Order: sequence, then structure tokens, then C-alpha cells
Amino acid sequence: MLRFIVRRLLLLVPILIGVSILVFVWIRALPGSPAESLLGERATPATIARLKHDYGLDQSIFVQYEKYMQTTLKGDLGYSIASRRPVTEELRHRFPATVELAIAAMFFAILFGVPLGFFAAKRYGSLFDHGSLFASLIGISIPIFFLGLILKYIFAVRLGWLPSVGQIDVTKNVKHPTNFYVLDAILTHDWGTLADVLKHLVLPAIALGTIPLAIVARITRAAVLDVQNEDYVRTARAKGLSPRIVDRRHIFRNALLPLSTVIGLQIGLLLSGAILTETIFAWPGVGIWLADAISARDYPVLQAGILFLATVFVLVNLIVDISYAIINPRIRYS
Amino acid sequence: MSVAELEARQVALESPTGGLWRDAWRRLRRNPAAIVGFVLVGTFVVVAVFAPLIAPYNAREPNLLALAQAGGCCPGPSWHHLFGLDQLGRDEFSRIVWGARDSLIVGLVAVSVGLSAGLVIGAIAGYAGGFVDSLLMRCMDIMLAIPGLLMAIGIVAALGPGLWQIMVAVGVVNVPIFARLLRGSVLAQKENDFVLAARSIGVPRRKILVSHIIPNAIAPVIVQGTLAMATAIIDVAGLGFLGLGASDPSTPEWGTMLTDVERYFQSAIQLAIFPGVAIVLSVLGFNLIGDGLREALDPKLRGRTERYRERRPFWWLLALRKRGAAHGAQ
Repeated sequence: MLRFIVRRLLLLVPILIGVSILVFVWIRALPGSPAESLLGERATPATIARLKHDYGLDQSIFVQYEKYMQTTLKGDLGYSIASRRPVTEELRHRFPATVELAIAAMFFAILFGVPLGFFAAKRYGSLFDHGSLFASLIGISIPIFFLGLILKYIFAVRLGWLPSVGQIDVTKNVKHPTNFYVLDAILTHDWGTLADVLKHLVLPAIALGTIPLAIVARITRAAVLDVQNEDYVRTARAKGLSPRIVDRRHIFRNALLPLSTVIGLQIGLLLSGAILTETIFAWPGVGIWLADAISARDYPVLQAGILFLATVFVLVNLIVDISYAIINPRIRYS
Repeated sequence: MSVAELEARQVALESPTGGLWRDAWRRLRRNPAAIVGFVLVGTFVVVAVFAPLIAPYNAREPNLLALAQAGGCCPGPSWHHLFGLDQLGRDEFSRIVWGARDSLIVGLVAVSVGLSAGLVIGAIAGYAGGFVDSLLMRCMDIMLAIPGLLMAIGIVAALGPGLWQIMVAVGVVNVPIFARLLRGSVLAQKENDFVLAARSIGVPRRKILVSHIIPNAIAPVIVQGTLAMATAIIDVAGLGFLGLGASDPSTPEWGTMLTDVERYFQSAIQLAIFPGVAIVLSVLGFNLIGDGLREALDPKLRGRTERYRERRPFWWLLALRKRGAAHGAQ
């Protein structure tokens, strides 16, 4: 097992180097330079040249890449050209926001998706089954930005129950020891803030979590259908175990296997969806940050941010593979 | 030419996949969900093809006069304007109709780009194996490690705005998905007896790949292609929504139409509803067909559904009717 993990970790290295090269070359293929977008239309060639020199953009691309790798490996991601703040500092604020949103969305998806799929399979072919299948198809077919707009319209504009933008009430001035706002509020026993943060989280989480919910429901249903006619389930029933125990121990546990893979695969989708969700709900996360950085040609932010997201993504996939081996004792990696 | 080769030729002349496809088509026709999908997609194709005939008004020219006559933004549905007017006084219905054309074309081209590049890469990787395989697949892994929408945004940013650029961007995002799918499929087919047979009578490698392996490995790719159409329509609309749509802002594109809609929430929610529903319905259509195809083509899935019960569409409706009939008999 340990050897498997080490080997997989080593395999990640070339992938991440590849991502860094790809991002590096791509950024330099973008039309326009940060100097121009930063200085605006009134920039003279001289000021542009000076700024380029300051950021080392006038050197050859190989020198730039070498410098970039040297500093990145030391943990120094440079300064954002747009905000002039260290990229690591911005990342420390924005990444927790995106993680919080993604976890909330996944929580929503599993909380409703698994029971929905499970009971649909138990009542295979019933009205409930058809209804949940149809609902999950709609869930997969609805674009995040449309769902987000509609949720915003109903719950924020019409009913006024929930806030429509941001992560927290801006007038609140509270400490953020971890930058995970929910966790912070719990740690500081600030229940008023917790309620406020949770309220802000509801709509973005639903918007982002609906597609995973639909997929989780469909996979759960298919997995339960697959498992429930297996011989060992019939044996368990035949020896007189209560239906509930058979459901839980024999059917549900085995149905979890494909589910765990699918949930892991959703991480990439969540990161993609976060860009749209964060744009609609003005959520101060990584997605909106990178989308803005592209239009501002903010090289350091793009280089660091995309590499960081890619690292997170491949690590999560590795964790999914490992947990798959733990959940399923039949699989042993050598 | 040897006898074996001649015989092999004759075998090849009989369409090797006809049975499977005819079978699949029969099952697909019996699947009511897939039929609904075909109707939805068919409607959109007809609307897209005949857009100039269907759209009653100009979809691009702003018509502030009409807006002023109606008393400001934005009048809702009426007899003259089925879906009302948008914030620039253009007929919303005409814009939705023209938008169908762009969405379908862009989606189709994007998927074709991704599919053909992915096919070539996947087929080569799967059949060649060894170093070529690892190299190509590591490249695909690198692409998969970057969130898809982010990559699409990046490509559009590098190439500049425009529908062609969007097609390329969304297509490139699809390449690794198809490549991995076809590679797995080819690897599975490679060990089959008919490949061994073809090799033993001296059929060249390239011909084995093109006329023996790929036709048998293509089924999952077709399913994925249909589902990719659905995702492509959403991705294209998403790019449009983020302001990375066509270079001409008057282009009636569904995603772009949703961009500024929030400003008119109070007065004209229908401006959000119509383009949104158009996206959902077209995406739903492709998803339904894709699901139906998967069920029809995958012998394993087929076995599962048949094991439970003779699959009849919406049998609970029949059951209700039967119960009613039984009551009547009493």
C-alpha cells in the first residue's frame, strides 16, 4: 500500500511539471501584456518597458521559466500585478472560500442524492423512481448560471430570505483565524456570524451542488440495482436477517464503492463550476479570482493559481484512489 | 491472394456491426425517454435550420422605438412579440430562434473537434502501446488536471473572442476525455480473437486498427459524443455568460443573453427564463438520447434492466389503468 502511494506521488511530478510548462507557455501566448493592461491606454513605450523590466518580462522565456520554478519551489509565488499583494496571501484567503463552497455543495449533493438514489432503486419502476430519474436528468441539464440566477431571483429578490452576494455580511468585523468562515465562527463561538455565514452559503451551495446531486442520485440508484440481486443479498435475506440490516450492511455498503469514485471525480467539475458560481454570487474564491486574472493578464496569479488548482485536483484524485482501496478490501494495489 | 485472404474479404464485406446497430436501434425506438430526446433535439434542429423563416423580426438590430412605444423595459409576452422584447427592444422570440442555430453549430463543431482529435490520439495510444502510449496519456493527464472551464476560458483569452475560438476551446477540453475512452476501448478489443485472426492472415497493422478494432470500439464513443453535445452547449453558453461569447455583442447567443439579465430582474424576469429554458431543453434532449443510446448499446446494462422485469415504459400508468378496470368489473 505504502509503495503504491509513493509510486503514485512520484507519477504526479511529471504531470505537475507539464501543467506548469503548459500554463507558462499559454500565458505568454495571450495577446496583450500585464504592463499594457495595468498602465491603461496612456502608457508610453518607455513606461511599459520599465514595468516589463521590473517584473522580469523582458528576459528570454527560458530564463523566466527557470526563475519562476526556482521561486515557486521555495514557496514564493510572487506578487499579483493587479493588486500588488503577495499571491500566497491572496491564495490563503481565497482558497478556503472555494473549499468551503465546494464542501457545502458536495454535502448538499450527498445528503439528498444518496437517499434519493437509494429509495428510487428500492422502489424500482415506481412513480417515485420515475420522478427521481426525471428530476436528476433535469438537474444534469440545467446550467449552473441559469440555476444560480433563478435561485437568486426567487430567494433573494422575490422572497428576500437569503442574501444574494458575498460570503459574509460586509459590515461584520470578525476575526478569521483559519479563513474558513464557518469554522472560524464555530471556533470563536460567534453564533450570530455563523448564522450569517451559513445563510450566505445556502444559495451558492445549491447552485453548485445540483449537478453532483443528480449524478450521485443516478449512480446510487444504478449501484443499488446492481447489488440487490446478488447472491449474497439473497443469502442474507434467506437466513432471516431483518430487511433493514440487509439494506444497510449488504446492499448499501457495496453500493458505496462506485459512489466513492464518482464523488472524487466530481471535484474537477466543482472547481470548474466554482468559476460560474462565484461570478454569480460574488463569492470571493479562487474561481472568480482566476477568471479576473485572465482578463487582467495577471501572470503571477495565473501561474500560481492554476498550478495550485491542478495540484489540488491530482492530489484529491490520488486520495480517492487510496480510499477506494480502503473501502474495497478486494482491491489491493501492488 | 491466398484463399484465407479472399475469405477474410468476404467476411469483411458483410457489415460487421449491422447486427448490433440494428438491434440497438430497435431498442432505442422502444425507449420513450429517448423518443422524447429525439423530439426535443429534432425540434431544435428544425428551428436552427429554418431560423430565417421562423423568426418574425430582426434578431440583431436594436429597436429602441418599439421599447419606447411599449413604455420602457421590458414588455412581456404579447401577440406581436411571443416572448416580449429585450432591453434593447429586440424581439426575444427571434433571438431565441437564431440562438438555436449558433448553439447547435458551435456544439456540433466543438464536439467534432474534440472527438476526431481524441479518436486519433486514443486509437494510436491504445494500439501502439509502450512508450507512445505513456507519452500521449501523460499529456492527456496534464490537460485533465486543469479544470475544463478554466482551460476553455484560457484558450478563448489566447485566441481572442469569437464563435470559432469558442468551438476550438470547447473542443480541446473534450480531447482528453475521448482519447482516454477510445484508448480503453481499443485495449479491450485488441486481445480479441478476430484481431488475432486478421493478424495471422497478414492484414497490415493500420488496416486492423481502422477496419477491425475501431468499428468495434466505437460504441462508447458515440454515447459519449451525444452526452458531450449536451455539455458543449452548456459550456458554450457558460463562456457567453462570462462575456467571452461572440465578438459581435449583438449576436443572439443563449448564454450571452443571460449575462446582463440580473439588472432587469424586477421588471422582466422572462428575459432570464426564455434563454435559460431553451438551454435546458436542448441539453435535456441530448442527455436523453445519450442515455437511451447507452442503454441500447451496452449489453451489460441491457441485461440488468431485463433481469428485473420486462421493461415497459411508464408501466405504472398501465397498472393504474388495470386497477381501474378491475374495479369496473366488480
